[in-house]
Amino acid sequence: MSRSSRAVVTLPKTAKRGEVFSIRAIVQHEMESGFRHTEQGVRVPRDIIREFVCTYNGKEVFKADLHPGVGSNPLFIFYTKADQSGTLEFKWTGDNDYLTIVKQAITVL
Amino acid sequence: MRLLGQCALLGLLLTSTPFLQADSRVSAYALMSPTNQAMQNDMSLNPAMFWIMDGEALWIDRNNPSSKACGDCHSDVKQSMKGVSATFPKRVQGKLLNLEGQINQCRTTRQQSPAFAYESKPLLALSTLIAYQSKGLPITASKDSAIDADFQKGKTLYFQRMGQLNLSCAQCHDDRAGLKLAGSVIPQAHPTGYPIYRLEWQNVGSLQRRLRNCMSGVRAEQYPYGSVDLAQIELYLMRRANGMRIESPAIRP
Amino acid sequence: MNQRRVFITSLTALTLSPWQSTSATPSDAMQAMKAIVGNRPVNTGRIYFELPPLVENGNLVAIKFSVQSPMTQNDYVKALHIIAEANPLPNVVSCYFTPLSGKAEASTRIRLADSQKVWALAQMSDGSFWRTSVDTVVTLSACTEMI
Repeated sequence: MSRSSRAVVTLPKTAKRGEVFSIRAIVQHEMESGFRHTEQGVRVPRDIIREFVCTYNGKEVFKADLHPGVGSNPLFIFYTKADQSGTLEFKWTGDNDYLTIVKQAITVL
Repeated sequence: MRLLGQCALLGLLLTSTPFLQADSRVSAYALMSPTNQAMQNDMSLNPAMFWIMDGEALWIDRNNPSSKACGDCHSDVKQSMKGVSATFPKRVQGKLLNLEGQINQCRTTRQQSPAFAYESKPLLALSTLIAYQSKGLPITASKDSAIDADFQKGKTLYFQRMGQLNLSCAQCHDDRAGLKLAGSVIPQAHPTGYPIYRLEWQNVGSLQRRLRNCMSGVRAEQYPYGSVDLAQIELYLMRRANGMRIESPAIRP
Repeated sequence: MNQRRVFITSLTALTLSPWQSTSATPSDAMQAMKAIVGNRPVNTGRIYFELPPLVENGNLVAIKFSVQSPMTQNDYVKALHIIAEANPLPNVVSCYFTPLSGKAEASTRIRLADSQKVWALAQMSDGSFWRTSVDTVVTLSACTEMI
């Protein structure tokens, strides 16, 4: 049983073959760095997203390794080349069994 | 620390008019970097979007003893809540309530559930969702004469020195707005963007949280969340900012 | 006398932000880069790295980086690493591209604990490395919360 949260991806619904278009992917996650302390001086344990992967019809187009230095509610804006119609899949994995997957279809003309 | 002490000792004259001139009022948005402004304007970059989504889910949630969701009485939030946050705080059944207070009143009386704690996820989600429906609209603070006494009390609190640093809100936000405090420009302190996603907090927070920050900043004992004093200060700030555009949910550093 | 000194030191410690309890140094950043690069030479330049020179709050700093490249199977940018000299940990984020990326460009938002130099290190498909850096001043908002 994994934890998950909201994710919003923004990309065009259609693209011309060969066109390079931008994708925005933002996910709701506090990215608890592990360097903060409570009022009592107890360290708040690290709880972050570790990896973000975007695949396009199963092939990787972008990947990121996240460390505690990435800000809360991590946002990535990146690019991909329109190839075939199909599905883009966005996957975030992290500490304490965190897993969020979002899929979006694209039509390539 | 010493600079603040010197400012306090200087004791400059307070402005003679109770409000800033209408045309000289400026939101703290203007003080932000272009990147942070873009983060606020573009909802696909603004982290507060997640609180709005949480609010949308809560709006239709019937999981409470009354089995009634907000939407069962108020139907579509976009219609029913348009312009609503612009009018708070106001008198509701004889009591001065801010938006959070009104949400909790519905929660306790009509949903027969315990009130949400201030700064809890559900209360922030609902207040962000509702405030978002007033984005772009002008503040239309309640002119109800029955709360004029509350307004006067709020004004008194705004001009009253407090804390170990012995400073009033007015001394920074009226007299010294535009000058610097520890590297940051002092804003005029208008409540146009609340609830805000404050980068400092890495979280969405209410106006009361921000007011309490200011109080701890001058080393004053903070008024409790939901107190009438904070509601009165909110009322003063809203009338002072009457007509300014709402930016909720805003980004602030 | 000693008691007073201890008291003043602990007062100062209380006012320091949690970030400053552990901090990387420029040599930690160099070590982090060496772990990626090994003994291979690193060229300077080629990376467009955008980071504001003055940051209002270090909790969420927007950055953008790109490397001009044909992004073909034979010639593409494999990875771009962001390494900070004065964060508690030097490695901040690593982005990996493929020829399908179309462009070796990305934007994200990172945390900066203090004013510092931030490095961008690019790894190319031919095994070569490039790097550049930006210096930034990080301020904090006034009237911060009582923790």
